[in-house]
Amino acid sequence: MPVESPAHPTTAFMPPRINRCVGALCAYGICAVCGLASTAWADDVSAAIDFVKQYCVDCHQGEDAESGLDLAVFQSQDDVAESIEAWNRIATRVSERQMPPEDSAMPSDASRQAFVDWIRQTIHTAVCDDGVSPGGAMLRRMNRTEYANTVRDLLGIPINAGHALPRDGAGGEGFDNAAETLFISPIYAEKYLEAARSAIGHALKDPGDRDRIIIATPNQDRTAPQAAGEVLNQFLPRAFRRPVTEAETNEYLSLFNQAFEEEQSYSSAIEFALVAAMVSPKFLFLYEESAPPGQQTLVSNHELASRLSYFLWASMPDEELLRLADEGKLHDEAVLVQQVERMLRSDIDGQGLRRDAKVRGFASSFVEQWLGTRALGVEFKPDKSVAHGYDSELEGGMKYEPIFFLEDLLADNRSLLNLIDSDFTYVNRRLATHYRVGGEFREQPKKVELEGDSHRGGLLGMSAVLAVSSLPHRTSPVLRGKWILETLLGTPPPPPPPNVPGLDESKDAATPISLRERLELHRTNPTCASCHDTLDPLGFGLENYDVLGQWRTVADGVAIDASGKLPGGTEFDGPEQLKQALLERKDQFIRNLTSKMLGYALARGLTNEDDCVVESIAKELAQNDYKAQTLITEIVKSVPFRYKLNH
Amino acid sequence: MKNQLPVYLNDDANRGLSLSRRTLLRGAGAALALPWLEAMMPREISAAEQEGRAPEDSPVRMAALFVPNGVRQDMWTPTGTGRDFQLSPTLEPLADHREQLLVLTNLWNQASNVGDGHYVKTSGFLTCTTINKSLGIDLNCNGRSMDQVAADHSGQQTPLRSLELGIDPVTTGVDTNVGYTRVYGSHIAWAGPTSPLARELNPQLVFDRLFRAANPKRGTAKRDQLLLDRVLGDADELKQRLGASDRHRMEEYLQSVRSIESRLQKQQDPGGDQWKPLASLDPNQRPSDQRPDEYVEQVRLMLDMIALAFQTDTTRVCTFMFGNAVSGRNFSFLDGVTGGHHDTSHHQNEEAKLRQYQLINRWHIEQYAYLLGKLHSMQERESTVLDNSMILYGSGLRDGNSHSPHNLPILLGGRGGGRLATGQHLEFGTDTPLANLYAAMLNAFGTDTNAFADSTEILPGVLA
Repeated sequence: MPVESPAHPTTAFMPPRINRCVGALCAYGICAVCGLASTAWADDVSAAIDFVKQYCVDCHQGEDAESGLDLAVFQSQDDVAESIEAWNRIATRVSERQMPPEDSAMPSDASRQAFVDWIRQTIHTAVCDDGVSPGGAMLRRMNRTEYANTVRDLLGIPINAGHALPRDGAGGEGFDNAAETLFISPIYAEKYLEAARSAIGHALKDPGDRDRIIIATPNQDRTAPQAAGEVLNQFLPRAFRRPVTEAETNEYLSLFNQAFEEEQSYSSAIEFALVAAMVSPKFLFLYEESAPPGQQTLVSNHELASRLSYFLWASMPDEELLRLADEGKLHDEAVLVQQVERMLRSDIDGQGLRRDAKVRGFASSFVEQWLGTRALGVEFKPDKSVAHGYDSELEGGMKYEPIFFLEDLLADNRSLLNLIDSDFTYVNRRLATHYRVGGEFREQPKKVELEGDSHRGGLLGMSAVLAVSSLPHRTSPVLRGKWILETLLGTPPPPPPPNVPGLDESKDAATPISLRERLELHRTNPTCASCHDTLDPLGFGLENYDVLGQWRTVADGVAIDASGKLPGGTEFDGPEQLKQALLERKDQFIRNLTSKMLGYALARGLTNEDDCVVESIAKELAQNDYKAQTLITEIVKSVPFRYKLNH
Repeated sequence: MKNQLPVYLNDDANRGLSLSRRTLLRGAGAALALPWLEAMMPREISAAEQEGRAPEDSPVRMAALFVPNGVRQDMWTPTGTGRDFQLSPTLEPLADHREQLLVLTNLWNQASNVGDGHYVKTSGFLTCTTINKSLGIDLNCNGRSMDQVAADHSGQQTPLRSLELGIDPVTTGVDTNVGYTRVYGSHIAWAGPTSPLARELNPQLVFDRLFRAANPKRGTAKRDQLLLDRVLGDADELKQRLGASDRHRMEEYLQSVRSIESRLQKQQDPGGDQWKPLASLDPNQRPSDQRPDEYVEQVRLMLDMIALAFQTDTTRVCTFMFGNAVSGRNFSFLDGVTGGHHDTSHHQNEEAKLRQYQLINRWHIEQYAYLLGKLHSMQERESTVLDNSMILYGSGLRDGNSHSPHNLPILLGGRGGGRLATGQHLEFGTDTPLANLYAAMLNAFGTDTNAFADSTEILPGVLA
């Protein structure tokens, strides 16, 4: 099993908040309209207590309660409000039909649904009714990607200055911009110093680049310190992403002066002062002034400029953003919306290719981490037995397909449901051959309209996704099913119990047995069946795609059977119908995507309160044809994005 | 498979290391790589100098090598105990180093017997503590790793306090399945409860770092000091303006800057820097620009860097991870292996998978033997660098199929400056704390500690 197992089952109950109030699990055909419609039980706590007494307390009672969860003490809405994480988990488990366990008394579907809805409604009322409050002022270092992009934009030269920095792990909603996991190890200062020296040294070598940075040199009209002052007055506000005080300029001017006195070389002394600014935490850290205690405070205009640019470009604010911030206009909603549109722009050239757009920095950071496709070529490498013709151009095409796809949705403001199914995608030359798509292609991905029988469209037709949810040497319906639940719907299955028997991998040539048959054998074990009844059918719907996502109709000498039945009763056959089944769960998909996007935008893990924002944005999206730009503008206008609070 | 990517990918910072390096270097000219090479003045250690060294000039070094996913149990443990033991099939590649080896049976890490299959057992491997279950916000290992305790002792005497090395980049994402950020599975060295130490993954950058540390550029020290003062000033200023909860982040950066500063000050002060390299770093040993595609090569180069760091005495403490927790690295480059590491470790007691699992285990042991051999080939006065080292090898779990932290596979190589009673297979009582071994190692390293984390005593029989 290529998934984690708990060493001890009783600890499996309490992971940190995974499925929040909006996280209704819909993979079973019972889609809760979470917290929006009134539930069958409305405010009736007694119905919930009855449910718990009837179906839960047998095991979940007293000191020896299963998973340490004592439900015998449950008697009011307040109990739910006080342990939101635990109750979210209960709602998910019951909704997922993992609880009550198979051999015990079972509630009716209606009663099960009413209980789940009641929990979610109760949580929603407790958390959201008092309005939403934002998180604290931001303090985090730039991550490796942001550092590279920022140095590139600050100096205006196309280099990757972050190449020698350690890579960043991820936290919160799964992104490497999360403040909580951006640590500083002792090695960093040394790395930053080397990187700054290299980058500045490189930039000053080219006369054109040099003149843009060293805007003044000493001559008969100005002394060396005067010239240095002019350079610093232009450089520092850009490096620090805000106006600098006279005192700050003087500090760096004094640094220049000391170096200049020593060496009498203007060039070397100004270079030295600029390097210092690039090792300053004022450059390396995205930091905001802390808000007055207890008061919900608008972030400053310059703080907002940085929040916007690191969200939508993974880089520093440009001149226009800084100017609008200087003018104090960025909080103006019309200006904000207009800036979002501008920042998401991505132009197409005469050959139909997308130029280098800054929004790609965002699209790639977000998509690669959300989908897990960053692993392609790193943690995931196909085994040579299945990697026929796998080369760098194919890998590049695979990795960039979802990135260009999202960039397209954002720039052209298309429906986010295209992520589930679409009539176009992006391929380069090698990927076009891989997909057997006709047309003229080069190394760079280009948009292609898909024919009806292309078997492509949406994320589930993308080979990068299909590969990273496979094992190196064969496809895994289990992993692909897990990928759909976790990545698309935001409802990860619990880990398998320890010591479960796995698959018999031996292949007997005389009696070919398909992967499906082997997995079905596995599911005769009821312990396994509780999760695999959901995981496997979803994955089987994608069995027509091999490890690298190529279409096939036969595997291991047996014709592919891509049909499946989900626990709620929904039946499907093949990826097209699977996508239709997922489209029926679009609300769940959209809430999950919104949640991921908000977490990325805020660069931190979300709280229960943030889920109220997710829910209202998801509602707004449903009314706006799920337009991609609506998602972004609603996030940017939201309270947590524009405000800070000193908790 | 080549790592080379199409030209249009160049601008992206997330691409392969080798590509971005090449791009940068091509763009910047070789100059980027040169500043310290130009300044290189290989310092030959004269015979007279060698002769004149005091016994302290053969300092004890300590390294810890972590291997993910456990081992095949029935092929690991030697038969016989004490000095009279037979190496097991998996340990056979260590035959040449038998007299320098301790095989330790029945150690366990109680603190990691909770939580999940891997993360707890990786971050907790050297800390012997239970880490917080967290996607990030409450990330805490609740202790420090034992290598860092050792570095407290030796860090002031060498240019670098410690080296943290690895092969795999930090695994991306969070594991919502079990509720842990994968940061946990990518670190064994913890400077403090909330400070996992970033690892260097590129052998060339490690070499450059060793070189710079051992060969400071002359003449720029005063200016560097000015620059660092400015940076420290800015960090202090921000720290004052930050909320209490965020100050520690700025403090981390302050410390990072101060570590360069203190090195600089030692180098400037004629009487202050007692450190002399025990061997000169030969610039010809610098790994080539290109990070090799082959895993085998990458591992060998990293082990070479550990050996160089120890030989020159640039640092005395080092950790290395063969892979991150749950590593699914494809080992089909080995004859007889077809699958990924993690998948194979879930062998379900099938003979076919067990056979592959053992081959992977044995390959790791061969690499360990390579490092021991390398250190053994490095003469140091009348002994060798291996004689003055202790190289821990181990995994955070025993059997990959059951994820149990009982009876961990643990080896210790090298005589620790004569302080270790090597050449033995020691079998302890069931569930003897792994921390007892760490206490023994810290003691042999010269610290005055006799305890570590949940240790109950110094592991008997290990110290000479």
